[in-house]
Amino acid sequence: MMKQGLRSGPRAGHLVTATFAAILGLGTSALAQEYSQAPMLDDLVASGELPPVEERLPANPLVVEPVESVGQYGGTWRSGLRGGGDNAWIGRTIAYDGLVRYDRNWDQIIPNIAESWEVSDDARSYTFELREGLKWNNGEPFTTEDIAFAIELMQDEAYPGSAGFIDNPQNPVSIEIEDENTFTLVFEQPNGTVLDELASVNGITIVSLNKNYCGQFYPKYNPDAEALATEMGFEGWALLMENKCAWAIEQERWANPDLPMMNAWMLTEPLTGDATRVVFERNPYYFKVDPEGNQYPYIDRLEMRVSESLEELTLMALNGEIDFQDRHIATTINRPLFFDGQEQGDYRLGSNVLSNSNTLLIQLNFNHVDEAKRELFQNKDFRIGLSHAIDRQEIIDVVFTGQGEPFQVAPRPESPFYDEELAKQYTEYDPELAAEYLEKAGLVRNGEFYTMPDGSPLTITIDTIAAFRAEWVDMLELIQLQLAAAGINVEINTIDRTLFYDKRPLGEYDAQVWQGDGGLDVIQEPRYYFPANGESVWAFRWQAWYNGTTPEVAEEPVDWAKEQMDLYTQLRQEGDPEARAALMKQILAITKEQFPVIGVSMPGPGYYIAKNNLRNVADNMLHGWLFPTPAPYDPFQWYFEQ
Amino acid sequence: MLRFLTGRLFSMVVTIWAVSFVAFAIIQLPPGDYLTTYLATISAQGERADPRAIEALRQQYGLGQPYLVQYWKWITGIVLHGDFGRSFEWNAPVTELIWGRLGNSILLEGLAVVVMWFVALPIGVYAAVRKYSLGDYLATIFGFLGLAVPNFLFALVLMYLGYVWFGTTLGGLFSPEFENARWSLPRIWDFFSHAWAPIVVLATAGTAQLIRIMRANLLDELKKPYVTTARSKGLPEWKVILKYPVRVALNPLVSTIGWLLPTLVSSSVIVSVVMNLPTAGPMLLRSLTSQDMYLAGAIIMLLGVLTVIGTLISDLILAWIDPRIRYGGN
Repeated sequence: MMKQGLRSGPRAGHLVTATFAAILGLGTSALAQEYSQAPMLDDLVASGELPPVEERLPANPLVVEPVESVGQYGGTWRSGLRGGGDNAWIGRTIAYDGLVRYDRNWDQIIPNIAESWEVSDDARSYTFELREGLKWNNGEPFTTEDIAFAIELMQDEAYPGSAGFIDNPQNPVSIEIEDENTFTLVFEQPNGTVLDELASVNGITIVSLNKNYCGQFYPKYNPDAEALATEMGFEGWALLMENKCAWAIEQERWANPDLPMMNAWMLTEPLTGDATRVVFERNPYYFKVDPEGNQYPYIDRLEMRVSESLEELTLMALNGEIDFQDRHIATTINRPLFFDGQEQGDYRLGSNVLSNSNTLLIQLNFNHVDEAKRELFQNKDFRIGLSHAIDRQEIIDVVFTGQGEPFQVAPRPESPFYDEELAKQYTEYDPELAAEYLEKAGLVRNGEFYTMPDGSPLTITIDTIAAFRAEWVDMLELIQLQLAAAGINVEINTIDRTLFYDKRPLGEYDAQVWQGDGGLDVIQEPRYYFPANGESVWAFRWQAWYNGTTPEVAEEPVDWAKEQMDLYTQLRQEGDPEARAALMKQILAITKEQFPVIGVSMPGPGYYIAKNNLRNVADNMLHGWLFPTPAPYDPFQWYFEQ
Repeated sequence: MLRFLTGRLFSMVVTIWAVSFVAFAIIQLPPGDYLTTYLATISAQGERADPRAIEALRQQYGLGQPYLVQYWKWITGIVLHGDFGRSFEWNAPVTELIWGRLGNSILLEGLAVVVMWFVALPIGVYAAVRKYSLGDYLATIFGFLGLAVPNFLFALVLMYLGYVWFGTTLGGLFSPEFENARWSLPRIWDFFSHAWAPIVVLATAGTAQLIRIMRANLLDELKKPYVTTARSKGLPEWKVILKYPVRVALNPLVSTIGWLLPTLVSSSVIVSVVMNLPTAGPMLLRSLTSQDMYLAGAIIMLLGVLTVIGTLISDLILAWIDPRIRYGGN
């Protein structure tokens, strides 16, 4: 066994240095001491409704160093949800409390609900030790039974929930329970990435199902579960379970205030279809304290306005009615507005480093059903020609007011995987070079436009969704003009998102666009570096072959892609972080050589808005989804200066 | 009269059935279904859904079934159990979701209609009686302005002015502390302090239209001999105008009462989104874009029902205010 107290893997590297290096106190440094609690709980304890704070905290609470200083209790953090379906903001603010967590630099995995863990040398079994005396927000003990229940439910064929490694058919896992605080996950094959998965936003499934509560909807623990479901108007227990405990589709989890949680704040006013706001209040059983023994969180309540209107949210922020937010409102267009309004609204702007590597990328369809197009799109010279024909600086100046820089699909400079050549190759605007490469690819220029080698006309239709990113259409219109000048006829096809998805297995599209996910989360989100998952639209049929999904369209990939897939399979089984990084570098070397997807520019810096009296907020934040900003920056230690 | 009513009621049922059928069909027209939309949405947020979970859900929701089967299940649920189905997005019965929203719509838009009529009718009468006067021209100018400025733009301008001049955010219908409170005097006050803006916005366009209609109708009537007769008999001028020609001129307005509600709901969707009003409009829009078909179907169908009922009511009122219609049938 090798002890893996803290380290897991190099990730986003030494980003955002200085300001809060060495801030993370470890559980072990917590000495038995007097704990104190928020004043709002005093009355409840005095009246006997709540046990005293020492009994609510685990034996060994997690001590978290605040970013600046020990804070004050109280206040309401106001923010906004866009429409009802916006559960992602809730996930980003309160729901990031898994077994383990990422540290604030996104480069180490640190203890959370689990106090420590050990990994076997073959990376097949992972033994976790939970904190002793953890409690759900209703006061019930949190034990390994709850974890076993989550795994059991997710692995149940009859339940449509699905949660990554827990029910991955290629590497089945089972759980062995030692006692109420110790359990071991045993995989059939080595699994080197499970800690990363557990530390990411997807890792919370396993600690989110209270056996006592959710078990009552499960036939195994409640023989009447099926009857209960029927009585409540559901067709089968699974749908009732989903409605109450919600792990198949995330929306409903915030619609049920009775569902026990482990987060710093608990739901009091749920997110239902006609809710105009969602409210959370402090969880009196939260298992973290500051270095002086004050129980977190500092802030009493969260209040999220449910608004269909971006305009309203923007105005609320300008008027100082939002205490912290970046989602939805922190757009490039709004930046000058928010900058000018700082004094009137009594807020400040902080900086976000986005995890995306690219504002827009063009994925030519390598698996096109038309043989001629397939051959052309797989031709690297053709893609290089297109890339040189794009004037990226013009797009940056016109669409992004000069923010950002020309960039391919590549890890960002903040990432340990950054490779300048991969990021910058073929990005210079050079029409002559473009023409040279296009001719090398066999195209023939007849008058205004190039044609296919056999003289038939060539038009590339690029699918896009205007509803997601308004700037995509602006960018594509410029690209259309630029490529037309270079002799390539491009049509922009703005379609609905469902059609966008439905087209993928059919293989008839020429190209689709997206943003460059995987700029910081290189290992976890490699969809544009090799055909990794269903979002690898440029090689949808190759990824189907690799993943075993939609076998009816799967096609055997070319050799270099297969080599990448082999490397990634090895990576997933590799326990040693250094070796994983080395494998990823090999994958990226092939990406550089093959240049499958064309990128445009790296997004400029992002920003967030925080009220001036909101303290302990990190000045710079890395912004990802797997690393669900701002949650890894510990909002539970934010406080309002009074 | 009884035959008139039964005939009406019968055709109402047929119309409502047709509305439900067409509504359900239209909702199903776009490619994909709720789960495809869901997949696309979360993937835009950087998440990735597990295809296995999606497939399993599609089975459970019965989304793969043919149109007629789905329609039959839905319509029999409504007729037999008053069950409009479940909203996928909210995983809740549709009936739980829509009543509050529809209530808000009816309240807000009802108030807008009242304001509209109170402002528009006197101005319309004035503009007709004092044709080509300065007042008439002013009413005409403002009327056309109101007609020409898109509602949502007007709403945005109001919101911006609210920020610049008063430092307040115009939006929603209640302050946070009253959001879920019971109705009380302070809550009513809070409601009006928020609702005036959307009511003004919603009423503007309709007001302009109403002024024009009222003016044109009344101008036609004013020339008629019965007005001259009334005048020659020595009735005071206000009584001449209000008692006879205005009553007749109201006729076309009353006959369109039934369309008011659907028109207001559909024309207020964008305003409601911009100003974040918890009415039926944004919910309809959202359910349509997310292909939450039972929810969307229920809202469209209820609007259809309200239109049909409204038409019936306007027929009855029309018969009441206009003797020619009352006796015309016999």
